Amino acid sequence: MGPLLHFVSKSILVALAGAGLGLLATWSALERGASLEIVEAGPWRAAPRAALREADPYTRAGRARSGEIPMAPAEGLAFFASRDDEGAPLDARCDYAIASPVPAARFWTLAPLDAQGAMTATANGRMALTSAQIVRDEAGRFEIVASRQARAGNWLALPAQGPFMLALRLYDAPASAQPAAAARAAMPSLRKGRCA
Amino acid sequence: MKAPRAADIRQGEGWMAALGYGLATLCVAGVAHLASVLALPHLASRDSFARIAQAVPHLHRFALLPQPAPGAELTPRQDPMLARAACRFDLAGGPVRLRVDLSQLDGLLLLSFHDRQGSTFYAMTDRGALRGRIDIRVVTPRQLEDIQAEDPDDEIPQDLRLVAPGAEGFILAGSLALDGADMESARGRLSLVACASEGDGGAGGG
Repeated sequence: MGPLLHFVSKSILVALAGAGLGLLATWSALERGASLEIVEAGPWRAAPRAALREADPYTRAGRARSGEIPMAPAEGLAFFASRDDEGAPLDARCDYAIASPVPAARFWTLAPLDAQGAMTATANGRMALTSAQIVRDEAGRFEIVASRQARAGNWLALPAQGPFMLALRLYDAPASAQPAAAARAAMPSLRKGRCA
Repeated sequence: MKAPRAADIRQGEGWMAALGYGLATLCVAGVAHLASVLALPHLASRDSFARIAQAVPHLHRFALLPQPAPGAELTPRQDPMLARAACRFDLAGGPVRLRVDLSQLDGLLLLSFHDRQGSTFYAMTDRGALRGRIDIRVVTPRQLEDIQAEDPDDEIPQDLRLVAPGAEGFILAGSLALDGADMESARGRLSLVACASEGDGGAGGG
């Protein structure tokens, strides 16, 4: 093999390996839901600007791939949690207590999703709780029990089994203007109870 | 000190070459990674625009989107308590006008305006209504100039003009159901939102 042929074949190898590595990195970043603009508060995570044209390139690529239409700041703010306050993954075999406060909002909804973020069948067929359905004490405080078994009071029905996520969506929320500060100030606690 | 042997020199050159090829591979990988991330929004075939187009074949008329169910979600991670309707638009045929009859509305109404990549270029809720009305014209920069040229000098325009980043896009309207039994009313409330093309041959509203 002449030196030129040697160089050309090595270059082709470099180009192929590089392209493969680069695409693998893209795939893995999008699979992990990589985003450069995340607000975190305990186990709750939000991407307040994900809907916008100015969102970071990873968020925009992920959105193009998934087809998701995130909430814009002018509409509200969506938080997702896949772990409890202790950092343990949410598991439908366990009960969870979700206690106030919730950031100020005209309305909010709380919905269970499967571990991939897809809608999943629940014990009572209901897909979410809304702020209008919550029973509160005199001070306006409340506790929601998330369980696959029926509960008296504020019950969020969970999927039959497996790891799951929670989505807390705030509508007409001042929090969407200052998401980081609002999240630090008032996010609901998420404590694990008994496990089957 | 001994003089380096020819074999050592050849081995050293081999390491240098391997390092060079390794660095070159990493550079190519970096470029491929960045290029693919930036290109994806233009290449994806199942993005939100395509999904809305699949559910709403016609232009310039709101259509209710199917209520999501486990295993049947038009777009992922949407709020199951939200009833949604979409109006696809193409400004090539003229500006598109969106009006909401707020006198009949109770409850939360969300409006979001999306470009060809699905990005939101404007959004509001019914709280953002000016003087008790929502009257929005989605326009191209050229159409905005034409409209402004026809504006009377002594009046403030009553409608909000939104310059869209491109000719194609869609408008989403959302209405929140407060519980399962409220879902039918939430879907009904979306009939208060109307979208129409103002082009010469612009057909109908709804």
